[in-house]
Amino acid sequence: MAKHATPLLDELEKGPWPSFVTDMKRQAETHPECWDILGQLELSYKDKITHWKHGGIVGVFGYGGGIVGRYSDVPKKFPGVEHFHTVRIAQPSGLYYSTKNLRALMDLWDKYGSGMTNMHGSTGDMIFLGTRTENLEPLFWDLTHDLDQDLGGSGSNLRTPSCCLGESRCEWSCYDTQDVCYHLTMHYQDEIHRPAFPYKFKFKFSGCPNDCVAAIARSDFALLGTWKDDIRINQAAVKEYVAGNYPSNGGAHAGGDWGKFDIKKEVINLCPTGCMWMEGDELKIDNAECNRCMHCINVMPRALKPGKEKGATVCVGAKAPILDGAQFATMVIPFIEVSKENEYENLIDVIEQIWDWWMEVGKNRERVGETMQRVGLPTFLRVMEIDAMPQHVKEPRSNPYVFWKEEEVEGGWERDVQAFRRKHAA
Amino acid sequence: MAMSIEEVEAAIIAKATKSPKPQLYIKDFYECDTERKPRDIKKIANALVTKGKMMFWSSGSTTMYALPERIKNEENAEGIN
Repeated sequence: MAKHATPLLDELEKGPWPSFVTDMKRQAETHPECWDILGQLELSYKDKITHWKHGGIVGVFGYGGGIVGRYSDVPKKFPGVEHFHTVRIAQPSGLYYSTKNLRALMDLWDKYGSGMTNMHGSTGDMIFLGTRTENLEPLFWDLTHDLDQDLGGSGSNLRTPSCCLGESRCEWSCYDTQDVCYHLTMHYQDEIHRPAFPYKFKFKFSGCPNDCVAAIARSDFALLGTWKDDIRINQAAVKEYVAGNYPSNGGAHAGGDWGKFDIKKEVINLCPTGCMWMEGDELKIDNAECNRCMHCINVMPRALKPGKEKGATVCVGAKAPILDGAQFATMVIPFIEVSKENEYENLIDVIEQIWDWWMEVGKNRERVGETMQRVGLPTFLRVMEIDAMPQHVKEPRSNPYVFWKEEEVEGGWERDVQAFRRKHAA
Repeated sequence: MAMSIEEVEAAIIAKATKSPKPQLYIKDFYECDTERKPRDIKKIANALVTKGKMMFWSSGSTTMYALPERIKNEENAEGIN
């Protein structure tokens, strides 16, 4: 039976959609502290202010992340949420959970916490919502010793790296995203578990430009699989698509009546750079103009495949809207080799070059993308020792002035002022 | 001459003791030894936490450092009722 009247929250149970209020009421039957969450949230709706205090000092010994302290500022009214800490559980690469592992995690959380979860946070961690301080160490012990699983990152740490399922299931993956994700997770254990930076920093790894983990929109360091050479075309398969013998989009939209497949309307005319055309019944691509949008490959997967010379593009500086609004990552390195053989040494070099600069120049609570925006891309490229190239140009310049550097001007800034004055008296 | 790790630790503790703000960002400690890279300062500050001489305070998105006697501990703080 409900412990608090919640008329405002009850409104959220009306309508055809699923309701978190219904879920929490159901959870409260076995975890009574969930009634107090509902009560406190109802009060927040009424008062139009949060009733969570800000932050805390809780954690597990040796770690400086993975636990987020949360306390109610109305604990006498709602004692069940006096402490309601959040625990971030590192997700497996590609979010491959076994049902056995999921059951074990849920049993663990039923034992030590409210049983409420958030699947998943935007970093990718599984979020356990609501436990008391005295439960943190026992929970951490069981998690690491019985389940062989770890806490994720929080605060000014490197956040838990995340990746798409990559080569494990996807033929388009241009590198082994899961291996890179695992390798860098192990390599940067200190940065994941203890604060390291002016603010949070996120890695995300997508195997192809479809970017199934939205790395370009959500990560400070996005590694997007790409290829250098030409899209591979199977002309016989192109003919089968045109004849309607192969379903377009792998049959993904087969439920609707879309009419006969029209390669001109559905592929060629939708190419963003207009680099495709038909010559008779053969599909042609001007690969130099291809911008790797993946549309043609997505529509005709049996006819088109990424090239064979595979690697990745490095984009830096995406973030969600906290200070200056959301921004996509900026393309910094168009192509980088991603090789297990050198233990991803070249990626590590790039990452640490960014970190060394950002840790020094970045302001407190400034994401690396904001630092880049503040100093400008030319400065960032100089720091990264990368020559500017056409791919870095987003739009025609809007500033009429050209700011030369001394080394770009013959003779530098030094002038014989007296010789100048002999010609041009002051 | 470069400062020893012990000297940097002492400078960090002194900064955390004297600062008007009880809780400091990692960048606030860079000035304790300007010859060391920020990553080295971070390692020394984090080691002080492991030794129990400093503590982390986290909002969830940002982490700050403070002396145990100066840190804001919500656990024992009074609520509004």
